[in-house]
Amino acid sequence: MKKIEINPMTRLEGHGKIAVFLDDNGNVDEAFFQVVEFRGFEKFLQGLPIEEVPRTVSTICGVCRGVHFTAAMKASDGVYGVKPTETARKLREMFFNAHYVEDHAVILYALGFPDFVVGPGAPAGERNVIGLINAVGTEIGREVLRKRGLAVKIFELLGGKPNHPVAALPGGWSKTINEDERKQIEAWSEELVELGQLTVKIFGDVVLNNPGYMELVTGDMYKVPVNYLGSVDANDKIALYDGTQKFVDVNGKETGRFTGIEYIDYISERVLPWTYLKMPYQKKTGWKGIVEGEGTALYSVGPLARFNVASGMDTPLADIEYKKFFDTFGVRPVHNIMGYHWARAIELLNCAEKIRILAKDPSITAQDNRAPLGECTGEGVGIIEAPRGTLIHHYNTDEKGIVTDANIVVATTHNKGPINLAVRKAAKHFIKDGNVDEAILNHVEMAYRPYDLCLGCATHATKPGSSPVKIEIFNSKKEPVQTLKNY
Amino acid sequence: MSRTLVCGIGNPMLKDDRAGIEVAEQIERMNINLDVEIIYGVGFEVNDKIMGYDRVFIIDAAKMGHTAGTILEVGVDDIFHDHLLASSHATTLGSTLKVGYDLFPDEMPGELKIFLIEAEDYFEFTKTCSPAVTVAIQKVVDTIVSYFNQQSSPQPEPMLC
Repeated sequence: MKKIEINPMTRLEGHGKIAVFLDDNGNVDEAFFQVVEFRGFEKFLQGLPIEEVPRTVSTICGVCRGVHFTAAMKASDGVYGVKPTETARKLREMFFNAHYVEDHAVILYALGFPDFVVGPGAPAGERNVIGLINAVGTEIGREVLRKRGLAVKIFELLGGKPNHPVAALPGGWSKTINEDERKQIEAWSEELVELGQLTVKIFGDVVLNNPGYMELVTGDMYKVPVNYLGSVDANDKIALYDGTQKFVDVNGKETGRFTGIEYIDYISERVLPWTYLKMPYQKKTGWKGIVEGEGTALYSVGPLARFNVASGMDTPLADIEYKKFFDTFGVRPVHNIMGYHWARAIELLNCAEKIRILAKDPSITAQDNRAPLGECTGEGVGIIEAPRGTLIHHYNTDEKGIVTDANIVVATTHNKGPINLAVRKAAKHFIKDGNVDEAILNHVEMAYRPYDLCLGCATHATKPGSSPVKIEIFNSKKEPVQTLKNY
Repeated sequence: MSRTLVCGIGNPMLKDDRAGIEVAEQIERMNINLDVEIIYGVGFEVNDKIMGYDRVFIIDAAKMGHTAGTILEVGVDDIFHDHLLASSHATTLGSTLKVGYDLFPDEMPGELKIFLIEAEDYFEFTKTCSPAVTVAIQKVVDTIVSYFNQQSSPQPEPMLC
């Protein structure tokens, strides 16, 4: 059996490996998505005061920093039994949506669009953000980056720092805004809405109007039928900052709802010997293996999942695009994972509109930015929809609010099973008779990019001695001579 | 009056990865007439911070196979590799700066000095760098301050014959 490795994977956080095993005829026998990086934040957080946790977890990743910050902050509300004031909630939500805009913009323009705009068969050296700029023109590139920078300015103005925010308080938000700042954010939000509209338009012009690309978007090679998890508000619209977590099955039928600590009744994580990344599955279904279709226990999170669990979006322009999305596919739920990129573009518009709505609200300048703390409850769970999907931060503390245990379930972990399925399916479709070139391998890699993996935070410490570790020893000729493993 | 920025990059929680931050923090404590920024990543936020300055010093930790504590002064083209061009998550400092100079040539700094400090260990959670890196940090601080003072000191009036 011949083994092909794509390692390291390009364009994602952390370290992962795809191993493709061919049979004697050169066709794909099996493919695996492996995670080889190891961070250990859950252990590191033990002993910290819960109010320090948001600032600390924001350093898990230089990209996903605002989402960990927000989830941990919500968990700290629970630990101190406090509900944030209305003003604090609005400021938090505005901050969070600004983070979404800049994050989704970078994901799309650096990760998703190059495959389509530059072309999936283009050399790797061109399928990147500079290749994208060359293709769409420097004027558009300059405008996108400049407008994205406005979202960062909002993030910094509200969060206190450009990358790792500091404004979280249990039950509050330390930074209030005055009328001048509100007007400034409102002006910026108009440009962010333009960025959202431009992004949706680029996706439409480049992908939806190209029959070849639409074959990739709607074809079976990138179709992964699984269950979906996402958060909705009381009107069943997508809720990013705060909502109820909703599961639907492969046919789109609701199979459960939970909030807060109830997540442990719905989600289990399976430890696998060949990867550091645990594989979550629906607890009530029970582990069925890495399989797709009716009856599978695997589920996806993220933009496409949110589209599939909800019935609309809570802003007018994005809601129109949401309906176009499902009209184009003509089916619910959509299992075509290239839909992630399109959904992401529409979410960017949704978040920009949300910032505009919040900025137009004069009451956001109120000074009641903190609610009085209650008694320490010893436990808090913060759940948000991160750009990459549902993010759960769960903390236990002692009576003084010092963390004694932490569990963080991130989007890339939720998506571990579906990513495996996607990679396997694409590999089987594109690799035939042993023919493998760079373009074909890129088509296989395209199977994980929609999930916008972040492996930096997806791998966690397990108890000492139980981590699967494999050590390969090579001689001076780089020939493997010994393999050590503890599993 | 030209504007100067010292930009330290790294993760403050990880041993030698915080080398750039250490340099920036030490210079900030000196209260000299330059701005200081600390950034935890190498994405487009770097360009957001350095645009508009005339002169910028960027300091980051690196793992390039040299002896720990080795200091490399490099240019943008030295650390730009198109095959490594990446995304939100895997982008490199070189590609970020390259995009900045391609798209915003008039706003990016006219003078950019990049110092890379070879790390020994950037996995351990600690706020104390390894001894070799600590020595290198002091050298980079001295180099930047000395260079800044030279550039900032008034030039002698030309002699009139």
